[in-house]
Amino acid sequence: MVQPTPTVNTGLPLRTRGFRTLVEGLEYAALGETGANFYGPRGELERVLPYRELRTRALDFARRLAGLGLPRCERVAVLAETTPEFLALFFACQYAGLVPVPLPLALSIGTHRAHVERLRGMLESSAARVAIGSEAYLAQLEEAAVGTEVGWVGTYDGLAARPPVAGGLAPLGPDEPCYIQYSSGSTSFPRGVLVTQAAITANARAIAEDGLALQPGDRCTSWLPLYHDMGLVGCCLTPVLNQVSVDYIATASFACRPLVWLKVLSASGGTISFAPTFGYELCARRVASRDLSGLDLARWRVAGIGGEMIRPRALAEFAEAFAPAGFDARAFVPSYGLAEATLAVTFAPLGRGVRTDLVELGEAFERRRLALPAGPRAQRTRAFAICGRPMPGYEIEIRDEHGRRLPERRIGRVCIRGPSLMTGYFRSPQATRDVLLEDGWLDTGDMGYLVDGELVVTGRSKDLIIINGRNIWPQDLEWAVERLPGVRPGDVAAFAVTGEDERERIVVVVQCRISDPARQAEFRREVQAVINRQAGTECELVLAPPRSLTYTTSGKLSRAAARANYLSGVIRDVAGNAPSGAQRAAKEAAVAFARVG
Amino acid sequence: MSKPDPDRLLAEIGELVARFAPPGARLGRETELQSDLSIDSVAAMDLVMEIEERYGIDVPVNELADLVTLGDLVDLVARRLGERS
Repeated sequence: MVQPTPTVNTGLPLRTRGFRTLVEGLEYAALGETGANFYGPRGELERVLPYRELRTRALDFARRLAGLGLPRCERVAVLAETTPEFLALFFACQYAGLVPVPLPLALSIGTHRAHVERLRGMLESSAARVAIGSEAYLAQLEEAAVGTEVGWVGTYDGLAARPPVAGGLAPLGPDEPCYIQYSSGSTSFPRGVLVTQAAITANARAIAEDGLALQPGDRCTSWLPLYHDMGLVGCCLTPVLNQVSVDYIATASFACRPLVWLKVLSASGGTISFAPTFGYELCARRVASRDLSGLDLARWRVAGIGGEMIRPRALAEFAEAFAPAGFDARAFVPSYGLAEATLAVTFAPLGRGVRTDLVELGEAFERRRLALPAGPRAQRTRAFAICGRPMPGYEIEIRDEHGRRLPERRIGRVCIRGPSLMTGYFRSPQATRDVLLEDGWLDTGDMGYLVDGELVVTGRSKDLIIINGRNIWPQDLEWAVERLPGVRPGDVAAFAVTGEDERERIVVVVQCRISDPARQAEFRREVQAVINRQAGTECELVLAPPRSLTYTTSGKLSRAAARANYLSGVIRDVAGNAPSGAQRAAKEAAVAFARVG
Repeated sequence: MSKPDPDRLLAEIGELVARFAPPGARLGRETELQSDLSIDSVAAMDLVMEIEERYGIDVPVNELADLVTLGDLVDLVARRLGERS
């Protein structure tokens, strides 16, 4: 029977700093017994990869990669399955002086064509020369590579069968790149964040020392995809650079059986695990039908939240549902980060749980962009999660549209500076100039404000809806509609379109699974009522068939795509009458495109 | 386990799928899971779990993207059952 790697190294002191590259970090971790553990769909331990063995396997792959004769720092695309082979190949690139590009997996029925297009976009954008995946995905990868610069598509076995180079290897050095991360940008214009060795080692150290206050005895559990920054950096590379054992569950296994996450964490003694709000939400929904006995979540000291807007209510429901299993709501740690900063920028203080700032959504908030604490008589309020202060070495400024720094409680663009900012999007100078400011700051594209030096994120600036000078955050409308029965998270997109009179109006697209016309009409009335309650204004409601909305590679709803598809008439109402917007499509599309682009 | 009867399998899996489909939808081998039944990614994962539990098999995630019709799904289950026995 396979045994998981131990949580604590017997003879090797925990070391969080002093590594200038991933290879230096792995060389140290390989001196101990900790490592990566891979669990099956029902939470059974299937494979174990101590970091010592990861190093051996990476070195072997590296010699064979080197045999391909690629120039230094050429890109090697690899499908980021949650397997020992992916980890070995990722580190093999580090040893061989090549830059890995993790590629996403398709997790849905019948999405073959769209997924191949997405992969091809990334292969082109990264100018990858090699593409590697397991046997199961080979055909898909070969199809995606047609017409790209990829010269060799193969499997891990195929690579292992190639001759190794005899001489020494020249690993990526402290001043060189580390990997390319695709997590923002659309399918048609993917933008790859080039992460350097300096950035990854700086961010991993800050996360471990300041964000998590890592101590011997900590152990990580993760179902997050390894093609996403939170999965790759937070739950894979940071653990390697800090000799922490990780228990991995494939993302698909989590999606089928969310409670497998908690089962593995409980059984292996996990103390640290991160997820977006929806991960906690899925568990809370499933728990009603399951027995909690045997589940022990009392040791879980960092239940991190990040990756999307934090929804305090859903987290409170999780805490309540799992309190009988020992879950302590104070373990929640809201955080803020983005791939452009490698990963993390802020962490809320450990042991505090989700602290919210209750803000009044009146005139001050919507027109003057002031986040004022709600008084006792406030009518419309919203509780925002407070995400903590920037880690040491990192700075946050809230700026107005002219780049001027704003005081506390004034809402503006979240700008950050720190040791792990990207140097740019790979081969995309224009996209890079749009976000990297001249003074060394990065404009995150998010809107937020500071309270006692802590960050509160209110939404994405480019998605902000402005109606008659009032700022309305689309998330507010979407979440309100998502609370209706039969509506799921991600089913709703709210955005503004500009009419011929240059005035904005709100369009809300809801994916609708109701086919009965009478029930549909009733549903329409409900949604309109909710929007009216939330925004105090009318909206144009489009009940669209499921799969009408699209998502970025990191699973975030793409409102820009929803708006473009609405304007071009691709998104249509299930009732058959084309939305009135489509009739004015030509003129409006031009306006909207200029705004989106 | 003996070789599964294809018609029975179609009926059984059709029953499971029907729970994720709009009421009254007609189900046959040629029914397209996504475009005819609007089975999205969340529903797909629930469906996979139900099939795995019912038949005691693992549905390989890498094959989901290639499933177009109900018939494709039935064939996949039949193949996994065959491999198991």
